[in-house]
Amino acid sequence: MADHSSHDPLAGIPFDRVPPSGRYGAAGEPGVTVSTTDTPFIALVVARNGFAASVAARLGRAFGVEVADRAGAAISAASTVVGTGPGRFLVLSTIEPDLEGTLRALLGAEAAVSEQSDASVAFNLTGEKVPDLLAKGALIDLDPRVFLPGHAATTVIAHIGVTLWRVHESGWRLLVARSFEASFTRFLVASGAEFGLALENGTAGRG
Amino acid sequence: MRIPCPYCGERDAHEFATLGDATLTRPDPAAADADAQFHDYVYLRDNPAGAHEEWWYHANGCRQWLRVARDTRTHAISGAVAARATEQASGEPA
Amino acid sequence: MSAPNRNRLTSGGLIDRAKSLGFSFDGTSYQGYEGDTLASALLANGVRLVGRSFKYHRPRGIVAAGAEEPNALVELRSGARREPNTRATVTELYDGLVASSQNRWPSLAFDALSLNRFLSPFLGAGFYYKTFMWPAAFWEKLYEPIIRRAAGLGRAAEEADPDHYEKATAFCDLLVIGAGPAGLMAALTAARSGARVILADEDFLPGGGLNAEAGDIDRRPAPAFAAHVVAELTSLPNVRVMRRTTVFGVYDSGTYGALERVSDHLPEPLPFQPRQRLWRLIARRAVLAAGATERPIVFGGNDRPGVMLAGAVGTYVQRHAVLPGQKIALFANNDGAWREMLAAQAAGAPVETIIDVRAEVAPALVAAARAEGLRVLTGAQVIATAGKTLTGLTVATPSGTERIAADTLAVSGGWSPAVHLTCHHGGKPMWDAGLAAFVPGTCPPGLSVAGAARGIFGLGACLKDGAAMGAEAAEALGFTVPAPDVPEVADAAFALTPFWHVEGSKGPAFVDLQNDVTAKDVGIAHKEGFRSVELLKRYTTLGMATDQGRTSNVTGLAIMASLTGASIPETGTTIFRPPYTPVSLGALAGHHRGKDFRPVRLTPTHEWARAQGAVFIETGAWLRAQYFPRKGEKDWLETVSREVTAVRASVGLIDVSTFGKIDLQGADVGAFLDRVYINGFAGLAVGKARYGVMLREDGMVMDDGTTARLSPEHYVMTTTTANAAKVFQHLEFCLQVLWPELDVALSSVSEQWAQIALAGPRARDVLARVADGDVSNAALPFMGAIECTVMGGVKARLFRLSFSGELGYEIAVPARHGAALAAALMQAGEEFGITPYGIEALGVMRIEKGHVSGNELSGQTTAGDLGFGRMASTKKDYIGRVMAARPGLTDPERPCFVGFRPVDRSRRLRAGAHFLKLGAAPTLANDQGYMTSVAYSPHLRHWIGLGLIKRGPERLGERVRAYDPVRGEEIEVEICAPGFIDPEGVRLRG
Repeated sequence: MADHSSHDPLAGIPFDRVPPSGRYGAAGEPGVTVSTTDTPFIALVVARNGFAASVAARLGRAFGVEVADRAGAAISAASTVVGTGPGRFLVLSTIEPDLEGTLRALLGAEAAVSEQSDASVAFNLTGEKVPDLLAKGALIDLDPRVFLPGHAATTVIAHIGVTLWRVHESGWRLLVARSFEASFTRFLVASGAEFGLALENGTAGRG
Repeated sequence: MRIPCPYCGERDAHEFATLGDATLTRPDPAAADADAQFHDYVYLRDNPAGAHEEWWYHANGCRQWLRVARDTRTHAISGAVAARATEQASGEPA
Repeated sequence: MSAPNRNRLTSGGLIDRAKSLGFSFDGTSYQGYEGDTLASALLANGVRLVGRSFKYHRPRGIVAAGAEEPNALVELRSGARREPNTRATVTELYDGLVASSQNRWPSLAFDALSLNRFLSPFLGAGFYYKTFMWPAAFWEKLYEPIIRRAAGLGRAAEEADPDHYEKATAFCDLLVIGAGPAGLMAALTAARSGARVILADEDFLPGGGLNAEAGDIDRRPAPAFAAHVVAELTSLPNVRVMRRTTVFGVYDSGTYGALERVSDHLPEPLPFQPRQRLWRLIARRAVLAAGATERPIVFGGNDRPGVMLAGAVGTYVQRHAVLPGQKIALFANNDGAWREMLAAQAAGAPVETIIDVRAEVAPALVAAARAEGLRVLTGAQVIATAGKTLTGLTVATPSGTERIAADTLAVSGGWSPAVHLTCHHGGKPMWDAGLAAFVPGTCPPGLSVAGAARGIFGLGACLKDGAAMGAEAAEALGFTVPAPDVPEVADAAFALTPFWHVEGSKGPAFVDLQNDVTAKDVGIAHKEGFRSVELLKRYTTLGMATDQGRTSNVTGLAIMASLTGASIPETGTTIFRPPYTPVSLGALAGHHRGKDFRPVRLTPTHEWARAQGAVFIETGAWLRAQYFPRKGEKDWLETVSREVTAVRASVGLIDVSTFGKIDLQGADVGAFLDRVYINGFAGLAVGKARYGVMLREDGMVMDDGTTARLSPEHYVMTTTTANAAKVFQHLEFCLQVLWPELDVALSSVSEQWAQIALAGPRARDVLARVADGDVSNAALPFMGAIECTVMGGVKARLFRLSFSGELGYEIAVPARHGAALAAALMQAGEEFGITPYGIEALGVMRIEKGHVSGNELSGQTTAGDLGFGRMASTKKDYIGRVMAARPGLTDPERPCFVGFRPVDRSRRLRAGAHFLKLGAAPTLANDQGYMTSVAYSPHLRHWIGLGLIKRGPERLGERVRAYDPVRGEEIEVEICAPGFIDPEGVRLRG
């Protein structure tokens, strides 16, 4: 791991490189742990005019979760369906290699499906201090008593567009456009340093 | 300023892009006086002091175009509805 | 070191005598205690002279005990952390604090520039406007340097700030601003209902006035009562108590700006802590409980060190156990100040004299004062002061003039509620004649005011009012509020007779101490007609700078009112705007400074390009490879020319992932494209791409790009890098607002696909080695678009498109394979000398080819201007069609797109040069257009240009001047067709 001699947790890290895995900021038990992964399979479903409810129902049945046409995350063991706009659903799967094909077959003419597996990097944040860290960039209410597991939002954090949802009590997941990975990671490191931040950079070496 | 997005909930105006007057209707391009009508549509704007309806695009959110009712004197926003919802509600041809 | 803490009481106060803190002021070491401010510690050590005034360099001391301090501004810290204009009265003392006085030269005790006071006739009201008007050249060379030397406040650090700042957002049901008696009760009452409460207080010790209160509340000393309430609040999960946090602004929709001074009380921030944090607080309701500010009475010599506000004297005695002096007198017009002094005396302060302008004062109060041995002078006024720091007063009494020895004069002219935040939405304060004070008028939505901030001055009444306001707000939000539990405190009656200015007093009588504005200056402003409060402020600078006239505004108004004969409410008050107290730029920037100023976007091949030696350049948010220099190349032009030559001779590649990519699916996509592009798309065959131009509704070109049809109902559009977001937004507008009936679903796929352009005569040979299928001319003809796989099974889209004019392809693969694709292409092209090129070479090639780009798509060009007139369909309507037909936009005289080459081929062309007919004078009337883009063409071995010139296409071969007054150049150029290379497009189709 990097040896950060200065109080700037980003000292010596080029701004156009994803900060490397390691411990940043305050010593001790990290207040926030960040791991980035390439979620294997993601697709965006856009319901055609008038089919939003039907598409939600079909997705729910197919993935065994409750899907409604709203900003929420329906989570099962192998898949997650996140509402990002009216009739718009991001579908994430760890097991469907041809997710796009599966969804096309499932939804037929009711929806447009586009492959998005490579469009974003997923940041998994765990730890008690996650809401405090995100509050340094987000303009929405992420108080854990208000933003509950299963709640989702498409919003902006530190001037970068994100779709995020709360996976469980202390786990949060954020999808960030791939081109912003370095800048977003820098924001997390700078803002999480006071709590101690552990970064496991699952995408390091890519690109 | 915070805009009550019907899908996302109340959001900071930073997430939106604004286009202005939402009371205008794109003229019929086949009309005999289409050029005059388009001139008004593109350039002529009322500048009301008070209640106004404006288009705001939720660029960093659900990507809906919203018709936002805003008081230009106080910035008080009394509501926002999605463009598609208003089109359907107004019974225009679908 | 001088006698430590010689003015410190041996007991009492909210300081920890076990925790001694060392500090220095102007190089002298002193000691204070934890719980001190810099001001209280200086006073404890007998330091009374702390600064020099703004214009006249007069000696100045500490006046107040809070944010309203006009005088005691110091430079805090040193080196890169030096911070000017820090108010000593709110600077929390820490061990090792280093402060120095400002605006003195060479030293605080002897200031050569105090001679300015002899210049005071010139530095009076409006001096900027009067004295330095003429001659104009003198301003820059003479007046400004002198003024900057003589007048002014502290010096900013000259090095970059080494500390970190951040921003954060928090939400609550109720925001309570101020943790004095009203604020604490408001917060506690609402918190007990379960509402989410944020209590923000600018002090490091919450409690406000309770911390300087002598009496008991609820059988506890007042400060202990405050601590008890704070402890309960802190223990509640639904409450956030924010100390050292100033709410400085009220914005729209319940948004409040606040500054938390996280580390200002430390020599330097703890590891990984910010110095300050800027909060955006979003509150459904707010209660302003910011208290009130005492105001002085204006009299001659009222700026002498030792003259203080009465409440400040009380605060130093009660809270800090500091005696501001050894012989204290009071000059007041109200009962509250008397009680303040009696309490101070009871705590051990040597108060000797009370001077009150009122002839009649409540007999009980007079008796109480006399019982304590105080001398009472009623109907009396202080008319002069003496001493470098105060030694004596001259008092006019009904029986004559007398001198009174005093080293401290406590002054009280009454209290001004801290209404500032109530005005941030344009609300005007209202004059309350009974209180002789402005009280809140119309408040911002959701904000109510409690306690002294709305003119309720008794402690017991403030506690009650706070509880009531907290309950009201919580109930309005739907919370069930338990009956408030408010301690009973008996309040004495409010008694004050308005009094502002001792007329006929001797020596300058300062209204605004920070800006050196005297009562006479107000008179000058009146005489010269600057009578409106807004003019008064700007003409005299009354109420400007860091204190924004906390202690001077109302007094200035009152003096002006007396001069005009109008009432104070008729005279009005200036508008308070955010911020309430100064906010550092560092806090406003937060994390976003230096290279983090804004997020950057990296292409999928960024690391690969770095490994290839790329030099990067910011293009919008993107960082793109500009060129790839090799050892021995002397400049960028040599590198770029080498890259262009290599592409034209063999093959090269460039990452074009930055283009916007929009996926369109649905039955009506063809019809939709017809409505947004000027040219027809409905007839586009599956497997084909087409170049298209979009207009704005006003008829100007918005963007260009290609759209490919992948299957009957599936299309993919590319936009320019710069307009990606704008075009997506525009298309959504068309679909959601204009034509919701169309069956078209849009998705951005910009980030999903890495896209690499492969160009040059060898492009197909290289592609064939990477693609899994057939890429022959038959399988993938010019403008073909197919879905396939590359590199042994990686999903891909191939588009046969060219920006460079060469045989070209764009290969899209899922983004995580982008770098692998670049490497595979490099390997496949090795034998052809494949060359990575950057956006400079791309630019050169598109200029050689005569393609328009961002410089031509300026928002002021029509399709006709750019040579796309014939592309525009006449068989359909599209966005911008009607307006593009306006006479002004179809005028044949409009500058149109053509190429240019220098007549003398050795000359360099310059973008931005304007065209003039040969022999024409360089006037606006003779302007023919301008050069939009230039490049050195390695192919032609001379500079070439593109540009817009009147009737351009009709003038091929004509010579004109390219006139560039900015660089002092003028070149004769020849108009030519814009395609400098392969105008027939043979290479593209090969």
